[in-house]
Amino acid sequence: MKKYIVLAALSLFITATYAQINRTTPPKPGPAPQINLKEPARFELLNGLKVLVVENHKLPRVRLQLSIDNPPILEGDKAGVSALTGSMLGKGSKNIPKDDFYEEVDFLGANIYIGDQSAFASSLSKYFPRVLELMADAALNPDFTQEEFEKEKNIILTSIKSEEKDVSAIAARVQGALAYGKNHPYGEFMTEETVNNVTLMDVEEFYRSYFVPANAYLVVIGDVDFDTVKELVTEAFTPWTKAAPPSFSYTDPKDVQYTQINFVDVPNAVQSEVAVENITHLKMKDEDYLDALLANRILGGGSQARLFKNLREDKGYTYGSYSGIRANKFSPMRFDAFAQVRNAVTDSSVVEILKEIDKMTSEPVTDEELANAKSKYAGSFVMALEKPETVANYALNIETEGLPKDFYKTYLERIDAITKDDVQKAAQKYFSTTNARVVVTGKGSEVLENLEKVTFKGKAVPVLFYDKYANKTEKPDYNAAVPEGMDANAVLEKYIEAIGGESKLEGVDSYSMMAEAEMQGMKLELEMKKTSKDQFMQDVKVMGNSMQKQVLDGDTGYAMVQGQRKDLSPEEVAKIKEESAAFPELNYLAAGDVTLEGIEPVGDRQVYKLKINDSKSVFYDVETGLKVQEVSVQEVQGQQFTSTLGYDDYKEVSGIKFPFIIKQSVGPQNFEFKVLEIKVNEGVDASDFK
Amino acid sequence: MKKHLFSTLTLVFSGVLLSAQEVNFEEYDLDNGLHVILHQDNSAPVVTTSVMYHVGSKDEDPDKTGFAHFFEHLLFEGTKNIERGEWDQITAANGGRNNANTFLDRTYYYEVFPSNSLEVGLWLESERLMHPIIGQVGVDTQKEVVQEERRLRTDNAPYGAFFEQILKNLYTKHPYRWGVIGSLDHLASATLDDFKKFNKTYYVPNNGVLVVAGDFETAKTKKMIEDYFGPIPRGAEIKRPDVKEDPITETKFAKYYDPNIQIPAILLAYRTPGQGQRDAYVINMISTYLSDGESSKLYKKLVDEKKMALQILSVPIDAEDYSSYIVGGLPVGDNSIQDIKNEIDEEILKIQMELISEKDYQKLQNKFENQFVNANSSVEGIANSLAENYMLKDDTNLINTEIDIYRSITREEIMEVAKKYLKVNQRIELEYLPEQKDAN
Repeated sequence: MKKYIVLAALSLFITATYAQINRTTPPKPGPAPQINLKEPARFELLNGLKVLVVENHKLPRVRLQLSIDNPPILEGDKAGVSALTGSMLGKGSKNIPKDDFYEEVDFLGANIYIGDQSAFASSLSKYFPRVLELMADAALNPDFTQEEFEKEKNIILTSIKSEEKDVSAIAARVQGALAYGKNHPYGEFMTEETVNNVTLMDVEEFYRSYFVPANAYLVVIGDVDFDTVKELVTEAFTPWTKAAPPSFSYTDPKDVQYTQINFVDVPNAVQSEVAVENITHLKMKDEDYLDALLANRILGGGSQARLFKNLREDKGYTYGSYSGIRANKFSPMRFDAFAQVRNAVTDSSVVEILKEIDKMTSEPVTDEELANAKSKYAGSFVMALEKPETVANYALNIETEGLPKDFYKTYLERIDAITKDDVQKAAQKYFSTTNARVVVTGKGSEVLENLEKVTFKGKAVPVLFYDKYANKTEKPDYNAAVPEGMDANAVLEKYIEAIGGESKLEGVDSYSMMAEAEMQGMKLELEMKKTSKDQFMQDVKVMGNSMQKQVLDGDTGYAMVQGQRKDLSPEEVAKIKEESAAFPELNYLAAGDVTLEGIEPVGDRQVYKLKINDSKSVFYDVETGLKVQEVSVQEVQGQQFTSTLGYDDYKEVSGIKFPFIIKQSVGPQNFEFKVLEIKVNEGVDASDFK
Repeated sequence: MKKHLFSTLTLVFSGVLLSAQEVNFEEYDLDNGLHVILHQDNSAPVVTTSVMYHVGSKDEDPDKTGFAHFFEHLLFEGTKNIERGEWDQITAANGGRNNANTFLDRTYYYEVFPSNSLEVGLWLESERLMHPIIGQVGVDTQKEVVQEERRLRTDNAPYGAFFEQILKNLYTKHPYRWGVIGSLDHLASATLDDFKKFNKTYYVPNNGVLVVAGDFETAKTKKMIEDYFGPIPRGAEIKRPDVKEDPITETKFAKYYDPNIQIPAILLAYRTPGQGQRDAYVINMISTYLSDGESSKLYKKLVDEKKMALQILSVPIDAEDYSSYIVGGLPVGDNSIQDIKNEIDEEILKIQMELISEKDYQKLQNKFENQFVNANSSVEGIANSLAENYMLKDDTNLINTEIDIYRSITREEIMEVAKKYLKVNQRIELEYLPEQKDAN
């Protein structure tokens, strides 16, 4: 009996220990956590440098972050001076040569970086005194030499040049310039001319004017103690001469009177860059700052957001579509919703983006959208807190943005409290479809006709024209008249004549080509062999490893992709046969079903456009007759991809002209192959096609 | 004024704490044998929940390899209370992320959440242990996935088979001899019962360590751990393989042909002591000395100066019973793998014959200290280290003291260990070659 009681008591005890938990559904998360942010300790030097120290002894390391909170700087006809100054800093000092500086930093296992109005260092805490010393020395005693200046200037000029035809770079430049105006610090841009205007003296003057302590904050985070930091920082930074930066005045950017398309013609574009933008007045300290962030997240903050779901997943117009909202205490900023889209759907994309923005302002978001956006937001906010730089940046933001002291401590609660109504109000205040600029950068000859027909909410959206540097311009004329008597056959004959003549081409039994290209610093090699007997071999190697190989021998063939072999289907065989003909123009001419579609600009040239079939067009120079470009559209898993081949630098081999530069672009990827060698009627063996 | 005084006081106080500089933790066992480690760090509202199980490829039946890794996949398939496919959704809806990995000795599962979702993490991990559904649908699905993974990472990846080939040649008896991913044939022919048996043997609380690291309340968390994990019954004692390899006394030569490569590689592999032992730490230092970063000996000499090698590698593979140390390179241009081997041997010989320079030694110390410190910079990293130190090195506190081991290693010791383990006649030389084309 007694035993029973004991057992009963025991079982009671057990039940009590394993409390009544419900395992059938996920536990509900607790209330938003309080953020345990450390209060930084502070001191200020006589020259105005404010120092924030966040002690964190968990790990024996330290991070130094100097930021100079100057108002935006208008560089005008010397745009590029800040970039040049930044690139010349952090390379030793007047006291320590560049190589010695690098070697010592490496030995200490530390990092030091100096920007045009910032500096950063990280190291083990035991080397903190030396690293601080090195950083301060490099920041305060830079050694600006003519030699380094020329070197860095050339690097910048080269990058400007390489971006000349880069559609994304052009689009970004024009979007900024149109939104802010070219005489606003956020609207101006570097050109070859403005960079060439900059002298070494300008760099020195820029440094003297803006690398000053009046608005400077040094944040020290990590395993340090305040007294030591105070002593060492005071010693290292007291020599910094007290000064404040000059100030500028410029007009505030304003929205346009009515929603309009601003079109920038870039004839080499294979995709259009579409950005819908308007001006916002948003500061971090505004009451509805977080509401605005959430509204933006729901609209275009990632792969769960509306723009992505509509334009990518539903319509397949683009690889991704997003939006961005920016807060700034000095200036009104730009809100934008954007995508890179296929030429053919440029007009539809404009309409869809406008629709999505409009829906944010006219209807409340769903409960699910709000809940998901909140948890995603809260999750990433919280996880970011682990990084010491996050903690530092928060302390700094509170200081520089005029935020309440508990701004970050209550962040999650405030996110949690946001309602659907708050989100809609923020959308109405910060997103516009009535005073928006729709900046479209793309190939006018293909997209403009439909773009001019765009209507939104029953109203036509007018199209205004700008050049690559955001200057107003006239509508480009795409319809140069085709000369009398010119037709598809004449274009093909002219090409055949231009590269060597029909009899020469027919004398080609085989040829082989070796070419190479650079891809992200890696060497890409291309080897191709063809014969007139439907034999074809193409091998693409990366760093010497075969990545992709296609082989065709008569009616059979195979492809090897990263070592995996797959036999070609009859359809693939037919396609490769067609593509791999040594001179397909001979076949086009024989077939006689090619049509001349007109004259268009490609780059700086006027070209004839021949439509080969529904998915392929080929372009021939009006003047020289040479083939300059092939554009084909492929469908992969329901998505359409445009691939462009450009031909240039024709040279004669065995009496036939071959292009020695072949540019290939597929989606955002661009390769420029330089041909190393072409052999005609030699170097090809039957075994190459096994 | 008053404020100033206050902050000075705080500083004096924190100055006392300063010298400690350690990752504090608390550890205990539940009645069912589950080991629990708690590391509280309330500085950021992030919490990691993780479980490491003491089961890896070495615990597999030689005729049923690949099981440990297969389970890493299978145990995301769902439980009695979590439907198939819901695992990731639940994690995302709570603003978190999850993942898992498998190695020779252990399998590790973890989630990172904002700290208010700690209970979700505990629920997920306890469900995984308590109620996994090992059914035909899940097994079939994951068989496909694992096959894909093997193709992607081993069969089709250039140099993808190198680890497997090294192990195969370096071990003849020990179960390290098959790779982590194992045999696809074994997996294909395995029955549902085989999987159920494996689960019953190894996925038991007395074979796991639960780590909760980050922002939480200790008392409440202990209670929740008890509630979620306490009712899971203890399993049978686990028999570990106890296999001793015969020492290698003559250089073993091996060749492997990889169809995915064009450039051959030479790989020299040595059997070295298990990861808990002091000599294993010395080997790690030697590896860093030889090839970590652009200023390391081999890189500087072979890639930078002589331009003989495209790439140099030197990898210590830590494991419980034995570690493996692999050093090798890919020749460039007209250089042969023999040339690369000679150069590597020359550098190893130098370490064996003369002390490394004071400056290099100090730089090495700095590098290790940096690595050590940064490895513990996130709560996620700390959780992993705690579990591994407890389970595989028998000393949870290594998270704080491991650096002292490195600090105490002398230049003389580096020379001695190089002499002891890096002998030519104690290694395998694997020529990792491009597959030759067929004759026709």
